[in-house]
Amino acid sequence: MSPRRVTRAQVALVLLLLVVLQFYIRPRLWNARVSPDFLLIGLMLFAMRSGAGAGALAGFIVGLIEDTLTPARFGAAALAHTVVGYLAAWGRALFFADNMLVNAGFVAVGLWVRDLIVLVASETDHRQLLTELTFYSPIQALTTAAFALVLLLTFQAVFSVRLDA
Amino acid sequence: MTFESDRRYTRRDTVLLLLCLTLSLAALFSPAPWGNGVAATLRGTVLSPLVWLQARAEEGRTSRVRFRAVTTERDSAAYLAQFLPSLRAENERLRQLLRLSHRLSASYVAAEVLHQPQATDSRTLLLSVGSRQGVAPFNPVVAPEGLIGVILSVSGTSSIAMSWAHPEFRVSAFTVGGNAFGVVAPSIEGRNNEGALEFRGVPYRDSVPLGTLVLSSGLGGVFPKGIPVGTVIGTVREEAGWERVYRLRPAANPGSAAHVLVLLGSRGGDLAPAFPSDSLLEALRLDSIARERRADSVAQAAKAATQALRAATQAMKAARAARRDSLARTSPILGGTSTGQPAEQPEDSSR
Repeated sequence: MSPRRVTRAQVALVLLLLVVLQFYIRPRLWNARVSPDFLLIGLMLFAMRSGAGAGALAGFIVGLIEDTLTPARFGAAALAHTVVGYLAAWGRALFFADNMLVNAGFVAVGLWVRDLIVLVASETDHRQLLTELTFYSPIQALTTAAFALVLLLTFQAVFSVRLDA
Repeated sequence: MTFESDRRYTRRDTVLLLLCLTLSLAALFSPAPWGNGVAATLRGTVLSPLVWLQARAEEGRTSRVRFRAVTTERDSAAYLAQFLPSLRAENERLRQLLRLSHRLSASYVAAEVLHQPQATDSRTLLLSVGSRQGVAPFNPVVAPEGLIGVILSVSGTSSIAMSWAHPEFRVSAFTVGGNAFGVVAPSIEGRNNEGALEFRGVPYRDSVPLGTLVLSSGLGGVFPKGIPVGTVIGTVREEAGWERVYRLRPAANPGSAAHVLVLLGSRGGDLAPAFPSDSLLEALRLDSIARERRADSVAQAAKAATQALRAATQAMKAARAARRDSLARTSPILGGTSTGQPAEQPEDSSR
């Protein structure tokens, strides 16, 4: 088995771990609204390592899962994650994305943009939209980015991220 | 070639993006039943492992929360149950105090006993009433069961009472039949780590049977007549053939008293009717005497059994010694004669 395949398998294992964390650990946390979004971390890390089309497709799949399991408007999460996945892959070419802090920042911004699109597409009223985007989303973005940083530090060999931040 | 490849990848990415966006928008603007149907199908098939995983997680979380709630409820119930007996006891004491206050002819003021965490707490008691409530030094302090003590010093809102456990406490008393008079004082030697009283100065000719109730006599002008002081539970000593000293079980326990009455005003009246033979109190007193008697009888039986055992042991030792002597006499090896005559048995062994 080639080293590239080994790396891909390791990435797949980490993504699987994130799925398990999302569906088995996250419900046990004290507040699911501000706890890290592990699926989004997986999407961002995958999209930043792959092409824009694959990022968009991965985003669509993740969004479809979210739409299926959450009572929001069907299709809103798919649209939001598609856009975020595409932008993450596209943004990697524009920014210095090998830096771990930049990666974590990407995750935070991605989560906030995702929330914005989902809330707008779900026709949320203005007051709730404002509350969500100014209070809950930033907190969740911070926790998610922090966990993404921990994940990158732990699996830096797998994600091949430099430590010269 | 590279340029062609890049362009091909870019085209593919764009196609994928457009496809995903189209599908997303189609899902978004499709009728709600369609979206719900697709979601239900996905939940039942592809995503069923994830749903199962999340269900287990939720179950675990709610179980943990339920367990915590049940534990909290159990702890609260246990905590409250700890206070239930003491609350019942306090309630009963307050009822008794209320009944006593109705029966008292003298004026009085109710007071709380503010117990202190010292070992000598029961000797002097801090009461929550003082001169503003009319309390003055030498006012008697009573509980529903009987005499507690006397006011020693008074300030504006509090006072110090000397209880019967104080070494300097004295009260003139007589037996309920009126056939013996004396002075009650705290006992120097405690019994079973409990405070006790002594009924001193009783003439030798006046014997007081066990269980006799001793009341304050009213002599001396401090304590009114008729307040229960204690019950005779035994004799302490007889001094020089002219005086008997009896041990009394105190009627009231200052250590456990939480509420008391401080008697005010004149001290001339007879308070015996205020302390009637209340069935509960009387039963308690009789029960305590019966317990005392039972304990005494058990102690006596144990003493007798010990003596019998000791006598039997001595008899066995004597018999063994006698057998050894007889063997020594009959055996030539041991220096005795082989006549075969039985050796003389000592008197103990024949018993």
